[in-house]
Amino acid sequence: MRSFAALLLAEVRNFTRDKLMLFFTLLFPVVFILLFGFLFSGMGDAERAEVGFVLESAHNEELLLSVLSEAGVGNTISFPDREELEAAISDHRVDFGLIWTGDDLRFLYDPGRLQENVAFQQIAGGIAAEFDMRAQGAQPAITVHRIHAGEIESTGWFNLVLPGILAFTILSSGLFAVSGHLTQMKERKILDRLIVTPMRPTALLIAIAIVRLVVGLISTFITLGVGMLIFRLNFTVDWVRYILFVVCSTLGTMGLGTVIALLVRRPSSAGNLANVLAMIMMFLAGIYFPIEFMPGFLRTISAGLPLTHMANVMRSVTGVMDMSDIRYWLTTAAFLGLAIVLFPLMARYVVKPLRR
Amino acid sequence: MKGIFALARAHVIAGIREKDTLFWFLVFPLFLLTILTLIFGRLGQDPEIHFTIALIDREAASSDAAFSPSAIVRELFSSLTLSETPGERPLFSLRTPASTDALDAFQEKEIEQLRRGNRAAVLVIPPGFDRNVLQSLQAGGQSPQPSVEAGLQLYMSQTSVASETAAAIIEQILAGLDRNLLAQMGLYDEAASIDVVTEWTQQEQADSEVPYVNYVLPSIVLMGFFTTGLFGVPGTILYNREGKVLRQYWVTPLSVRQYLLGFGVGHVIFCAIQFALVLLLGRLAFGATLQFSSWHTVLLLILASATFLAFGFLITSFARSANGGMAIANILNMPMMFLSGMFFPIVGLPIFLMILVYANPVTYVLEALRQSVGIQAGTLMPWPWPVLVPLLWILVCSAVAVRRLRWDVGS
Repeated sequence: MRSFAALLLAEVRNFTRDKLMLFFTLLFPVVFILLFGFLFSGMGDAERAEVGFVLESAHNEELLLSVLSEAGVGNTISFPDREELEAAISDHRVDFGLIWTGDDLRFLYDPGRLQENVAFQQIAGGIAAEFDMRAQGAQPAITVHRIHAGEIESTGWFNLVLPGILAFTILSSGLFAVSGHLTQMKERKILDRLIVTPMRPTALLIAIAIVRLVVGLISTFITLGVGMLIFRLNFTVDWVRYILFVVCSTLGTMGLGTVIALLVRRPSSAGNLANVLAMIMMFLAGIYFPIEFMPGFLRTISAGLPLTHMANVMRSVTGVMDMSDIRYWLTTAAFLGLAIVLFPLMARYVVKPLRR
Repeated sequence: MKGIFALARAHVIAGIREKDTLFWFLVFPLFLLTILTLIFGRLGQDPEIHFTIALIDREAASSDAAFSPSAIVRELFSSLTLSETPGERPLFSLRTPASTDALDAFQEKEIEQLRRGNRAAVLVIPPGFDRNVLQSLQAGGQSPQPSVEAGLQLYMSQTSVASETAAAIIEQILAGLDRNLLAQMGLYDEAASIDVVTEWTQQEQADSEVPYVNYVLPSIVLMGFFTTGLFGVPGTILYNREGKVLRQYWVTPLSVRQYLLGFGVGHVIFCAIQFALVLLLGRLAFGATLQFSSWHTVLLLILASATFLAFGFLITSFARSANGGMAIANILNMPMMFLSGMFFPIVGLPIFLMILVYANPVTYVLEALRQSVGIQAGTLMPWPWPVLVPLLWILVCSAVAVRRLRWDVGS
């Protein structure tokens, strides 16, 4: 036990002395959140959409103004002509535009805002349908009432992104933690010295895991806190499930990291491989782009990635996504299972001095 | 001269042989172009889009009307479970209660499935729906809005994009059906309906949408150049310095200036290879139509490559070790890319971030390139700033590198 405590202390010192590692583990996710928070806050939000319009004809003008005022958008702004409207769209003073010629409704979009245009086109479709119907003096015979069935109320897009970023942080640090550290120890020949002591290989892996686990947990707390404080994001966090999942998923991804440690010899290669895997998963796991937008074959790949499930559980424990209890427990158990299987299995192969 | 080209050749070959370099500088831009185009290039036109929804007709049991709108709704959604093209998935998979199912229990179960993400929407036809629709039609479309209870109930989840999308599609389908019914009753004239036209700003032909691949291609090209400069330059020079490879160069007649020239030529060739591959993929696989052949576009590409090369030297001159260089590059990478409008529009940023946007050389070369290939009308700053700012960065970076960069370990 004393030797394990010494090993643990050495790991703590090693980690706290590595300023770069500290920065990337604790502060880099915060930089991410700040950057994306400012870039994405309010993106594609229909209720805050600013709609510019030009009335080239007085025909049905009052009716159109009435429809626009009831469209449920953030603001409507009048422009004297198309040129000024286009300039406002290009400068992002308005989100999209509408021109009423007297015969047709022309909706103008900025092609650069492709991710948001789908939402804007839905709003435009609603405005056009309502105006068309009322212009003919008709009322819909079939009405549809949307009822939100989820237990969780609607959240902004960034509310869904932030737990995804937390999951990505856990994954990338987990993958790199063991692989990078072990390869570094091998390269610096520290492992050569440790291995001739009575230290058990698993004890070293556990010591590394404990330190990274605590740091990872703190990192997710800081990131979540920054999101809630600066961007006023609302999360209803189930702390018990949150901590349990962060612990199990960090251990699970560290287990996957031991496989990387087995495959590469240099710390830079371990970092690169971990980075490559994490980056590929980030794009396919629906962290920034909804999985539903992807083609069928990518959706299938996405369903097989650990990060997809990590992001969904993080959304569930932060209260922005519904998830059944059984799905939560199965996912958590799967990550814990990965750690339980991979750590002892890989320990004897990866805690070895570098072959020369 | 021969030495310079030999160095350039060595630089390119080393880059291609190194697996990490090959992935980040050649494979990753291609991967990103593929992923982004597959996702965003198909928005709203995905033939593979498929939703599992439930339809519960609570009217069927109570209605004995000869004209039954609820039956029409049922038939309409049943028809959408059939694929138009053999081998293709239909728009919907429809779950309906069996004759032995209790409707309340079935509805409850399906709404629970919706909450768990296993259904995209649940559409309920309430009792009295037929009577209400008929009353509305008989009143000549002038009746007051039917009550909430009489309308179709569309259960969806606001926290699921699939559910939001499915709900929007279902509403469009039902709006179409509504117009048909009104038209049949002479209450709505399809011929007199108001035309809706979709147009795009900054286009020569306003009604032609820019394919997403055209929009993203200049970004991917510059991202490739940027990462090659940001990571490639410090990576190569600092690892070579640490591994004492540079020291071996200095015992040959090669001067630092010749080395730099060879390195620069190699960097530009690497960028050209990267550009050619990205362009080929964009054109052949995704139908990009952009032309990069005008002289000012070519000059802009060279300017971009040179700017990021200089930026790489700036990082190299501040880093004490190769790992330190990579760390600085990693720290700068994301902010510089995302604060240039490369992948997301720069809208409503606070002033301190806007200062970074204006100081960022990537912003200028990106905007100038987009304008040059015809997918952007104006730039953040008027000409000649989009060229002057990157040139200024090249000058500053070069001056700092000349003063600070160490070419040997311990020098």
